[in-house]
Amino acid sequence: MIDLSLNEVETLSAKAARGAGFSWGLAEDIGRAARQIAVEDENWGSAMLSLVENAQSFEAPAPDRTTRWRNGEADVAAARPLCPIRTAALLLDDPPPASAMPLTILDVGLPVWLDAMLRRSNMRMARPVGLMTPLADVIIEGRAAAMQPITGRRGAIDERTLAALNSFAAKTYVPESERSRVRGAGGGRVDDE
Amino acid sequence: MTAIALRPPEVVMRLQRLGAAHPTRLSFLRQLIRRATREGWRVRKDRFDLDDHGFGHAVYAVETPARTYSLVAFSTPLDDEKRSDRVIAQAWDTSYVLYDGLPDVAEIARLEANAPLQEVGRFTSRELVLARANKSVRLFEEVASALAQGQQPDEEQLLGVGYLLRTTAVYGNGKFGIADRDEIASRPELSGSFQAEMLTVWLIRSFTLDLVDHIAHRRNPIGAARLAPDLRRALGVGNATGLGMAPFLVRHPLLTHSWFLARETALARVRAEPHAGEMERKAFLQALTDLRRRVTRWYSDDSRQAAATRLLADNLDTLTENLDQLLAKPHPWDALYRFAEDRFSLEGQEACVSLLLEPHGALVDDLGDTMKADETPGHAIDGSVTCGSLRQALLDSYSWAASVDFDDPAANARFWYVSAEKLEPRLGERFEEDGAELEQPLATARDALGLAAALAQEPASNRLADFLLHRPQWRHAARRAQIVARFPYSEIHDNLIGADLRPVDILRAKLAFFGARSFDPRSDRWLRIALFSGEPLIEDVATPAPAGAAA
Repeated sequence: MIDLSLNEVETLSAKAARGAGFSWGLAEDIGRAARQIAVEDENWGSAMLSLVENAQSFEAPAPDRTTRWRNGEADVAAARPLCPIRTAALLLDDPPPASAMPLTILDVGLPVWLDAMLRRSNMRMARPVGLMTPLADVIIEGRAAAMQPITGRRGAIDERTLAALNSFAAKTYVPESERSRVRGAGGGRVDDE
Repeated sequence: MTAIALRPPEVVMRLQRLGAAHPTRLSFLRQLIRRATREGWRVRKDRFDLDDHGFGHAVYAVETPARTYSLVAFSTPLDDEKRSDRVIAQAWDTSYVLYDGLPDVAEIARLEANAPLQEVGRFTSRELVLARANKSVRLFEEVASALAQGQQPDEEQLLGVGYLLRTTAVYGNGKFGIADRDEIASRPELSGSFQAEMLTVWLIRSFTLDLVDHIAHRRNPIGAARLAPDLRRALGVGNATGLGMAPFLVRHPLLTHSWFLARETALARVRAEPHAGEMERKAFLQALTDLRRRVTRWYSDDSRQAAATRLLADNLDTLTENLDQLLAKPHPWDALYRFAEDRFSLEGQEACVSLLLEPHGALVDDLGDTMKADETPGHAIDGSVTCGSLRQALLDSYSWAASVDFDDPAANARFWYVSAEKLEPRLGERFEEDGAELEQPLATARDALGLAAALAQEPASNRLADFLLHRPQWRHAARRAQIVARFPYSEIHDNLIGADLRPVDILRAKLAFFGARSFDPRSDRWLRIALFSGEPLIEDVATPAPAGAAA
């Protein structure tokens, strides 16, 4: 096992998320949520890998569903699992009215990510879910205050999972060319005197 | 007291002015020195196990009121051809960690196996900072030789360079496994920006001076001289900084805002003073004299910087000639600033900001505590606002960018990327190199205007949250737009991907906040600087603790 700092957890996760196709803004959110999971569970790396491997199989909430959520009407599942990240982003950006709570959302993919994203809000999932639960119906309820960030923890990860996440992160890197080697970092000035 | 308006972001946050920034008494190394003095820190050389050639390790322990920190220094042989300031280097003359506590033998052995490897090593939460430094080879040897012959080195040559070793990276905040910033942020002595990093460099400075004394002594145990105290105090630690640091100010908008707001608030407070007291006049004159002397030793091969430095020398001559009549005016410090604003170069104006703050510690030093930020409030997006209102906020905040035509290849010439080889930020030429599709989100103005244009396609009354649900590619720009609207000094008011961008301007602004001097651009993308030159040595400030005292 390799012991990562939480900053490394966040940075690696954000890069891997971007490499898996999430937008830059969502990747930032995922990095912070990964940090949250890592302080609570040493298998955070598996959860992260599962997210990036399944990123393309999820779908975003459709407008008719989000309208139903806001109006307190019963949810209707779609053909594919809901993306936990895009669902959480919507709930965070514009929380449902109190009248719509508790809110039941059907067929959320990897719901642990929805749970982690909501930690910085005054919403939470009513029932805890397993780190690797692939799909679940979830109930969102209000809570008094957002959770305070936990410090003094580390994010352990096994080498194989780390390598797999790094390969997603590597999709955000640009290979060097001879030209960029010379120019990219600052020109060919002698720097050894 | 007459209130003086803060210089607005459209003046302060331009790249050309950032590229003329000077350190002030609010700079981070100055804050550290004041705290160490105030709290009576104690420092001692706990170990100094170096051979005749200066290779081995040393431990310097600093006792603060609550905790002990140790600089663990390793000095290792290095072939000349492997010595490079660039981040692509793989070996260095010296390597360091700032350790949380006092390391025992086993811990030193662990660090010895990792610190010299730097990025390839692995570290723990006991390490707070990781750094390395190379000798300024020719100068280091000349100083060692002179001292070994019982002589002092040539002062002009020594102070023209200003340091014996040059750091090429000082890593904090969890890099390569070291402690997260969150773990130390609640400790008063390290809660300010970059205080752990500054403490590390302050201790490295003493190690470099002890190292050269040690080598000279081993060459000539009977007749070697020790480096004279005034030369020791004049020398700092060099630093080479490149593109890796450039995105920091963009990626930490709330922190950036807090730094600039503090400095601008300090300037406004000083300018609002109705009179100049005798003590303040004397302190100002002393600071001016010091700066004029430093400017005569400010060498750079960079023609732009050399010209700017010459102009600065002229500006300071003019200021000296006019000082008495300026300080005789009502609101004398404001008169002085206005005089500089009317007649001086940007370099001269920003030097005056630094000079104006210098005599006014009682008035401005409290602002140092505000130069930090919990960045959490910047994470949330208020998606309840309408697309129309966010678009208007963007057009207001980025009005300075309205004249930039991003369809013009010159305005869109560059892209920031992360290099697969070094995992470091780099700057590419969009129309000449591959990889622009992997551009990092640092094109702030282009993305802000792009978001405004995308919002214009939406019904103005639509909610931002719904827009971002189906256009997640704008999420980073929407988040930034809401930050910039609330924190006006959070954004650089220039195009960061234009053909005429000089990243050294961004680097200089950040380094000036650290307390750097002697800016020496080596290209448009990296520069050398000196830290702590002319400042007290840590052993001057932190009373040496008796050897063997409990840490």
